[in-house]
Amino acid sequence: MTTSIDTTAHPGQAPTGGPVAPSRIHPRSHRGPKATGSVQVQYDSLERQHATARLGMWVFLASESLLFAGLFALYAAYRFVYPVQFHAASAHANLVIGTVNTYLLLTSSLTMALAIHATRRSHRRRTVALLTATIALGLTFDVLKGIEYAGHLAEGLAPGGYYAFGALPARGVVLYVTLYYLLTGLHALHVTGGLCVLGWLAVRAQRGDFTPRSHIALELGGLYWHLVDLVWIFLWPLLYLIR
Amino acid sequence: MTTSENISEHPAPTAAGYVAVWLALVGLATATLFASRAVTGGWGLVVAFAIAAAKAVLVIAYFMHLSGGRPIYRIAFVVAVAFLVLLVLGILADVGTRSVASSYVDDLGQAL
Repeated sequence: MTTSIDTTAHPGQAPTGGPVAPSRIHPRSHRGPKATGSVQVQYDSLERQHATARLGMWVFLASESLLFAGLFALYAAYRFVYPVQFHAASAHANLVIGTVNTYLLLTSSLTMALAIHATRRSHRRRTVALLTATIALGLTFDVLKGIEYAGHLAEGLAPGGYYAFGALPARGVVLYVTLYYLLTGLHALHVTGGLCVLGWLAVRAQRGDFTPRSHIALELGGLYWHLVDLVWIFLWPLLYLIR
Repeated sequence: MTTSENISEHPAPTAAGYVAVWLALVGLATATLFASRAVTGGWGLVVAFAIAAAKAVLVIAYFMHLSGGRPIYRIAFVVAVAFLVLLVLGILADVGTRSVASSYVDDLGQAL
């Protein structure tokens, strides 16, 4: 059975020896504590529980970085072998959409950071508004990405064996095009996943789940969103700005 | 009990501080655009990558609070980034020293 200790009793203090008063322990469903203020039984304070959650998130972000690293490494290798082809192919990337999307994601990182800042100041409405703005910016990113893909596919700039772009011979160029879809596609999946998380966080913020002292879910969701921004910071020059 | 309990997890930047970081990011992105036109060839890639790295440091240090958090977060993330760099450098060292690489170059260059 999962139990949790109510934090209203002495948060930050190690449990003293002896049996805990029954009033401090209440059984929960198997889903664990729902209220963000609850300390799970294995931690002696909310601060330590949050520190562990944060470390877990950083390790997860590290593994995400290494996932993208595989594709970046492939990109580095092929660009080294086919520099002229990569240059010629990237001239057909949609620089306008790529650049607008760069500014959109940078701005969404700001609204995300400000949403957490608002929660720390107990501004619930502002938190919800800023999360909604972050979602709107991310959605616009995805829509623009879709328009960009549709344009490329119509031209025949398709990955792998579907490459049918008349203006450039396939050799080497098709590697850039395939990596373009793999990298931006994997990134767009992360944006979409992040949007789902942000939607869930907005609902919880609206419900009043987050307090200035306890909003770890919001914080971890924010870390994930910033990682999505980070990956794009490198994708943009590598795919759109080869000169 | 370690003294790390006393480390402030968040130096709590002000809203104005976040906006200042965002302005710097937007400025750097715009600088990347201009640099990509002004600096071409191998140096263009170096400049673009250096600016991207600067932007990444700003996001990680300030938006993600890695500069103010516990050292263990930095260890977890920086080690991963170090391995990432090793992976890419190792692959470039491999590809760059293969004599066969030169034979791939430039059928397109001649075609253009």
